[in-house]
Amino acid sequence: MKPTRQSWAEPYKIKMVELLKMTTPAQRKKALREAGCNTFLLKSEDVYIDLLTDSGTSAMSDRQWAGMMLGDEAYAGSRNYYHLEETVQEVYGYKYLVPTHQGRGAEHILSQVMIKKGDVIPGNMYFTTTRLHQELAGGTFVDVIVDEAHDSTSTFPFKGNIDMDKLEKVIKKYGAKRIPYVCMATSVNMAGGQPISMANLKALRTVTKKHGIQVIHDMTRVAENAYFIQQHEKGYDKKSIREIVKEICSLTDGATMSAKKDALVNIGGFMATNHWNVFEEARNMVVVYEGLHTYGGLAGRDMEAMAIGIRESVDDAHIKARVGQVIYLGEQMQRYDIPIVLPIGGHGIFVDAKQFLPHVPQDQFPAQTLAAEVYLDSGVRTMERGVVSAGRKANGENYYPKLELVRFTIPRRVYTQAHMDVIAESVARVYERRKNIRGLQMVYEPKYLRFFQARFEPLK
Amino acid sequence: MKTIIEPFRIKSVEPIYFNTPEERTLLLEKAWYNPFLLHADDVMIDLLTDSGTSAMSSDQWAGIMRGDESYAGSPSYYRFEQEVQEITGMPIVIPTHQGRAAEKILFSILGGKGKHFVSNTLFDTTRANIEYSGAEGHDFPCVESRETEVPAPFKGNMDLVALRQFFQTHDTHSIPLCILTVTNNSGGGQPVSMSNIRETAALCKEFGVPLYLDACRFAENAWFIKQREVGYADMSVHDIVREMFSYAQGCTMSAKKDAFANIGGFLALHDEQLARDCRNLLVITEGFPTYGGLAGRDLEAIAVGLREVQDEHYLAYRIRSIEYLTNKLVEAGVPVMQPGGGHAVYLDAQHFLPHIPLDQYPGQALVGALYVHGGIRAVEIGSLMFGKYADDGSLIPAAHELVRLAIPRRVYTQSHIDYVAEVIIEVFQQRQAIRGLRILEEAPLLRHFTIKLAPVHF
Repeated sequence: MKPTRQSWAEPYKIKMVELLKMTTPAQRKKALREAGCNTFLLKSEDVYIDLLTDSGTSAMSDRQWAGMMLGDEAYAGSRNYYHLEETVQEVYGYKYLVPTHQGRGAEHILSQVMIKKGDVIPGNMYFTTTRLHQELAGGTFVDVIVDEAHDSTSTFPFKGNIDMDKLEKVIKKYGAKRIPYVCMATSVNMAGGQPISMANLKALRTVTKKHGIQVIHDMTRVAENAYFIQQHEKGYDKKSIREIVKEICSLTDGATMSAKKDALVNIGGFMATNHWNVFEEARNMVVVYEGLHTYGGLAGRDMEAMAIGIRESVDDAHIKARVGQVIYLGEQMQRYDIPIVLPIGGHGIFVDAKQFLPHVPQDQFPAQTLAAEVYLDSGVRTMERGVVSAGRKANGENYYPKLELVRFTIPRRVYTQAHMDVIAESVARVYERRKNIRGLQMVYEPKYLRFFQARFEPLK
Repeated sequence: MKTIIEPFRIKSVEPIYFNTPEERTLLLEKAWYNPFLLHADDVMIDLLTDSGTSAMSSDQWAGIMRGDESYAGSPSYYRFEQEVQEITGMPIVIPTHQGRAAEKILFSILGGKGKHFVSNTLFDTTRANIEYSGAEGHDFPCVESRETEVPAPFKGNMDLVALRQFFQTHDTHSIPLCILTVTNNSGGGQPVSMSNIRETAALCKEFGVPLYLDACRFAENAWFIKQREVGYADMSVHDIVREMFSYAQGCTMSAKKDAFANIGGFLALHDEQLARDCRNLLVITEGFPTYGGLAGRDLEAIAVGLREVQDEHYLAYRIRSIEYLTNKLVEAGVPVMQPGGGHAVYLDAQHFLPHIPLDQYPGQALVGALYVHGGIRAVEIGSLMFGKYADDGSLIPAAHELVRLAIPRRVYTQSHIDYVAEVIIEVFQQRQAIRGLRILEEAPLLRHFTIKLAPVHF
């Protein structure tokens, strides 16, 4: 893919600001030690530029804030729910909606409803919470993403694609009856925000239809995926993001959504399906875990903000600026020769820690180490996406993923071009002194999703 | 004192849409005679719940604007944590998106087949969470709670004799927790006395069972203690609150009640090992431990709300509003739970509609009549919510057939309350015309949320 050289100026101006605290190296050193060298455990007050996640960190628009004031907090039948339902039906085309307090709530309910013990769920690369919910429901995740996704240097434009041969083999091996659905993510997070192509999706639809298998869409970054289809897939350059998003959804049976990403809200998610029986069961279950099905554990105002955010997220100008900013940061890093995952994805830059710190072996957590070093340098907070995030297999062994990455996730509409420059310069400084950087050892390991709360110490 | 003095003025309003009895008759039919399936826009006075329906203060809205949405380590979380620690005296605070999520986490760890949870009265979602884990829940409400129309100061109390007997006849290792619900919601929003909390704690200690508070309405409970219990009249509500929590090892809280928040909850406790297990589950279904599935702004709103709710002028207004409505109904001869509770007025549907048999759900029938007549939405707390089926398919009714009119905090004015009283009294005068209901379709757990019903024909 050739670098985008066109301007990506923001289609908005700033209406309200949040002041940042600047820190000294000594303060950062202390803060990092207190956080057990885990960026998740840093206090956000001690962070200058927070790239931990793009989830729930967006700046809402004045319209969304106005929607917040229109929240109808009735326990049952809130008008904001009906607005959200109508928006999901119109923009995404799914028939039935179950709101949840966030995406993992939707994954939990969907997995419990659709997966039986012994089932197998093929997907285009795992995601931490998704795979865990599949496993807790008795299922096993099988990766069927194309091989290019695991190669950080490949520039294949659709590294989120599903390898149809792998999928056919999985179906042959386990039988369609043991496969409740294929879990298809748009913009594959763990691969570096890589898109899936429409052609691949159509092929997936054909194969799954033949075997009577559903396709469940992990759609948290569907609009960003649509942008890559518009830019790089033949026949889509004249189509709007809105049209492409709807076409993607039309090739699937249902979805889980964390609205905290694409949909520009600070809290919220949903499960959607076109199948009445799945909906009915999910609706009964949501009451136990989330809240009554017309609020799903969300305040009315948050459903309103979500409905408005969904419409803003499929606007062409918005998405162009969003992805434009991410690509800008990636290109700045490339100028300093920093090894990053290519092509540049939709929601962040993924730095290849194995190449960055070749002298730190994977069991000394190179990505975790690099994230700590970047924080020390400039107060920029990033996230490990490597061996710590991958966790352990059922037999207790570590998963050793091919990709050992540090994720620089860009919150939507929050930071400016000057912030991007600061980030690139900081990484460049760490890169210059990389030979002196030593790895970490883990001193506390939680049972589930260990990356959130694990603690580390520098190796002597 | 006749007038209800509100210690606030109105800063922002929300319109009420008017409709007619004819329109409401059709709307109720379309909603399968289930108030949970009505659109909120079609309701004039919404007394379905006091949960999440409060009017926030301008200070809380300022907190909303101040919310820091960082995924991890947000200062909004630390403000929230500090406020909860200050009130409960418990060092470990785990935020959740609402109260039932805190319960879900706690009971998935402590529950399971063969386990018994004991309580003054478990609320519907609490009981569902316990039963979902495979465990059993046992209610021991005090003797006074059985007679709805006979007043007593602390009808929310635990029956200590029954509790002791249960402890003596069961392996206490199979009893992971004793839960005191303050105030006792299903029991009519009735308070638990400090001496009852203290004695329950002592009994639990004797048998080695930890005591937890289901603390959704802790401030309302504290106000009743101040008003009614010897030795507490001169103590501040804040100190009473601190004393209540001091007897417990942990608590769950839905911040949608006594913290005036529209969303949110938490679990607070002393036990570090249990807290680790809880956090392990928290990240799976709720979120990272410093946001627990809540936006940063909501953590701010809860922190501010927890402080505001302990204001004694507010509590006087709050409890007086409930008492005002209760007294008006009593004067008109309407069968109502006495004395008034903390957050709701409870009509006794069995006495209100003696001509409707229990398996035709008199409570739900009354809920329908209130909606059609006056656009008021209430909720049944009786056999529809808590009833079970015997092996032969016949209904095992709940202890009471109540209709709850929950009063949202700081939302409705005295004239709204007057209107509600008028509607109830008019329905009471025409009660012979109300018909029972039959079930068309129901879910296995928490059926009242999605159930479909139809009228029984004479």
